[in-house]
Order: sequence, then structure tokens, then C-alpha cells
Amino acid sequence: MKARSLGALALLALIVALTPLLVRYPTLEAQMLISGLLALGFSFLLGQMGFLSFGQATFNGIGAYAAALALLHWHVPLVLLLAIGILAGTLSALVVGVLSIQGVGVYAVMLTFALNEMAYFSAFQLKGITGGDNGLRGLIRPDLFGFSLSSSLTYYYLVAVVFVLAVYVVLRIIDSPFGHVLRAIRENEQRAKAIGYEVRHFKIAAFALSGAISGLAGALYALLYQFVPLEAIDFNTSTNIVIMGLLGGVGSPFGPILGAAIYTLLANFLSEVWARWPLVLGVIFCCIVLFLRGGLWELGPLALRRIRHLGGGNVAADSKPL
Amino acid sequence: MESLIAIQLLNGVVLGMIYALVAAGLTLIFGMLDIPNFAHGAFYALGAYVAYSVVAHTNSFWAAIVIVPLAVGAIGLAIDALFIRRLARFGHVYQILFTLGLVFIAQETIILIWGADPTSINVPSALDGGLSLGLVTFPYYRLFLVLAAALLIAAVWLALERTKYGAIIRAGIEDPAMVDCIGFNVQRLFTLVFGIGVALAAVAGALSLPVRGGQPAMGEELTAISFVVVVIGGLGSFAGAVVGGLIVGLTQAMMTIFYPSASEVAIFAAMVAILLVRPQGLFGTR
Repeated sequence: MKARSLGALALLALIVALTPLLVRYPTLEAQMLISGLLALGFSFLLGQMGFLSFGQATFNGIGAYAAALALLHWHVPLVLLLAIGILAGTLSALVVGVLSIQGVGVYAVMLTFALNEMAYFSAFQLKGITGGDNGLRGLIRPDLFGFSLSSSLTYYYLVAVVFVLAVYVVLRIIDSPFGHVLRAIRENEQRAKAIGYEVRHFKIAAFALSGAISGLAGALYALLYQFVPLEAIDFNTSTNIVIMGLLGGVGSPFGPILGAAIYTLLANFLSEVWARWPLVLGVIFCCIVLFLRGGLWELGPLALRRIRHLGGGNVAADSKPL
Repeated sequence: MESLIAIQLLNGVVLGMIYALVAAGLTLIFGMLDIPNFAHGAFYALGAYVAYSVVAHTNSFWAAIVIVPLAVGAIGLAIDALFIRRLARFGHVYQILFTLGLVFIAQETIILIWGADPTSINVPSALDGGLSLGLVTFPYYRLFLVLAAALLIAAVWLALERTKYGAIIRAGIEDPAMVDCIGFNVQRLFTLVFGIGVALAAVAGALSLPVRGGQPAMGEELTAISFVVVVIGGLGSFAGAVVGGLIVGLTQAMMTIFYPSASEVAIFAAMVAILLVRPQGLFGTR
């Protein structure tokens, strides 16, 4: 792994560790990290492999329901709950992935969308299992090896540790040979095939990873609010995840984390000020798509380059994408 | 039971023709111009709300039917010329994302201007009453809606297939560089086609307002359904849009009698099946 990525991860871990001590909103901050994982799962597919998924809420919702049901019916310990979330997210993503990559271009996007809608309406109708419109209630956050997580600050730190670990894993995978093949597929699928890679398998594996992260986020979410609302699997959640990813930028794994943090803050504070805040969000989003396709994360390097350029530095050397 | 089925069959045809009209617009935009317009349903919603305002001001439904496609179609022209055109070279992904942003903007703007409460208008007085068909009565307005939708779709199809400009547009889709060389402004023609596609969705919204009413999120459902219809019917096919629209409308109407809880899942399951098994649709050639 590159030293630069490790440094950035260390800095991220420091920020994540200190934030709730400086500004005490642990539930909101845990929500920011969980949304960060969702956006990361989405951006991994789009940024690394060039696949636009409109169905990330499917994996999030199924992960959340699986963990919540395991807790309700079998009182499974916490670490296992997270594993169940990951497993359920992975399995659902395998199904969606295998089906969706059959489609070409826009059709593949529409398959992720249609499968998300099917999952949503199934969850809506299966009231006996998911609670339907009322959501799945009555969850009680279990202890971690006898250590109580009932305060939201202690639970925040559990989320934070899991979050940093997950980001580390994603960074490692992006830098691995597997990550290189995914980017080769993104740049030129025919050539990747011609070289001899089983492109289909790589795509499905990328889906599995994206589903694992999203399922983990689902389980963490269920335990944060001790409740799984129907929204967890709603298509609107999928579009919100798309917006978070693009807002921050899908080129770097740190982009979606930034995007999710900004989105969560806007959703919490701007919505208090103005009920029509999605209008602002829509305008910002359209501007990003038109003028800043690398997302807000790209602003940093852009500014840096500008400064170096003013100082007479070499611009070309630094112009490679993140 | 027979009369219930008969009523639902007629409702299914009405619903199906609304879907067909919206999908005919999408088949122009997505099927011919290759722009995946995820805001298509938003133009349908906008059409319904503009119609509401026109009726409120002029008291004439017929004025609304003329003004709505022109006004909303003009918005579509502007959006294509100013924004969507520029994104073409970045591929489908960014066109999808941009139109997704438009959905947010349209929906919130509707709530800002017209409020979040559901709206409706009365059926125009000339079309009060209904046609007695023995078992059931078919309201004249619904009959008018079905005929108007069929006429509009046929008119656009004829314009494309039988007029000089239609021929230029079709040639431009086959080989834009060549048609540009001959001396036609292909981009301008494509923008016009985009505007017509948007106008079809908008006029469908206006026509459906007395029957289905309006609410700010009404477009989301129509975006999803019009993509289903276009996929089922085949990209770029007007006959496909009509047949696909009727299939979806009738299926929905019948499911509400026999198995209401599964009607949404069934629509999307059909979409997945068609996308996997026959992505060129029933009538598509591409």
C-alpha cells in the first residue's frame, strides 16, 4: 500500500477518533460514518470498475434486516451480527451482480434499479418478517464481550473502529492486483478480456465486496437506531447513496466518505432551516455533474496544482488522476 | 364480478394509453437519441401541474391541452440545449446522474409553487357523462383520453416516418456526421426531438390529471413505468410503446382485483425478465 494512502488513513482515523470529543453528536457522527461506508461501497463499483449501481440500498437493507432478525430471534452476539450483515449483504450483491452484469450500459443500471424495487416491494409486503411499513422494532443493542454499548458515545467508537478497518481493507484491495484488473476493465473491457482475464468473475467479486461493505453498514445502522425502517431498502436511499458518492467524488475512497459526511450534515441541519432543502441538493448535484465530475475531493489537488503552477512548478507531473 | 372485471379492463386500457403516451416520449429520447432521461416522469408531473394552473386561470381545459406541451416542451428544449448536450461526450453515466439531479429540482419546485397537497381538476363539461356498454358505463372523458393519446402517438410517428424533417432526423440518428455534412444542423434537430419527447410526457400528465389527480412525487412512478414500457416494447418503437403500455396498464388493473399485494413486484419482475431474456424488447430490432 502506498505511503500516501496510509498517511491519509491515519489522518482519517485521527479525525474520526477526535470528532465526538470536540463536537458531541455521537449518534449523528455514527450516522456519518455508516453513510460513509454505503457511499464507499457505491463508489468502489463506479470509481474502480466504472459500474453505476442504482441499487445499493438492496444490500444495505438486506444486511440490516438479517442482522436485526438474528438479534430478535436468536440473540446472536454483536460481532456475529456484524458478520451476518456482511454475509447477507455479500450474498444479495452476488445475486444482483450476476444478473446485472448481463445487461449492457444503461440496461445494467436499470437492472440494479428494478431489482432494488423488487426487494423493496417484497420487504413492504412481507410484514410478518420485516414489519412492512412500520419497520422492524424492538431491537436492543447487545454488549460487546460483556462491555456495555448502551451509551451512544461508546457505540460510536465501535462504529469508528469497524469503519477504519473497512476503509483500510478497501484501500488494500484498490492497491492490489485485483484492483488493477478492475481499473483495466473500467478503461477497456475488451482489452482486459483479450489479455485473458475472466472479466465476469472480477465484476461479480467487485459486487460482492461492495455488498459486504453495504451489508456491514446495514447491520451497524440497525444497531445504531435499534430499528430497521423500510427506508433502509428504499430506492430513494439508493439515489441518496449515489448523490453522496458523486458529491465527494468516486475517484478516491476518501471522496465518498467526505461526500457522505457533507450529505448527512446537510440532511440534518439544512432540513431544519428549510424543508425544501433537496432543491439545494439537486442544484449542487447537477453542478457537480456538469463542472466537477471528480467531486469535492478533487478540489484539494486542483487548488494545490494551481498554487504550484503559480510558483512555477511542474504541472504535468502532478496531473495524473488520483 | 363480471362488471368489476369489465371496469378494470377499461381502466387498464386508459392507464395503458397514458403509459403509452409517456413511453412514446421516452422512446424518442432514449430509444432514438440515446439519452437515458431519468427525469422523464418529472416532465409528466410538471405537465399535470401546469395544466392545473392554466385551468385555474383560464377555466379552459382545452387551453391547458395546447399550452402544456408547448410550455413544458420549451423547458425540455432549453435543458437539452444548455446541459444534456454537453454531457453527451462523457457517456451515459453522467446523463443519468444529471437527470437524477433534475428530478430533485423538479419535485421540490413543484412543492414550492403548488404545495405538497394532492390536486385535481374537473372533467371538461363537454365530456361529462358516459357511454353505456351494457355491464358498465365508460365515461366520455376516458374515451377521449384513449383516442387523444392514440392520435398523438400516431401523429408523431407519421411526422417521423412520412415527412421530410422526419427523414432527416432518422438519417441523423443513423449517421450524424454525414447529415451534418449535407448541411443540416443535426444537433438542433435532436434538441427538437428531445423537446417533442418531453412535450408528450407533459401532455400525458395534463390529460391524466382529471382521472388520476396530481401529487408532487407522481413523476417517480411514471419514470420507472415508462422505462419498463420502453424496454418491453423495444427501443425506438412506437407500436412497442403502445403494446407495452397496454400490457403494463392491463396487468396492473387486473392485479388490483386478483392479487393486489404483488402488483408492483410483478411489474419490476417483468422488467428484469425482459432485460435478461430479450433486451431488444418485443418489437425492437436493435
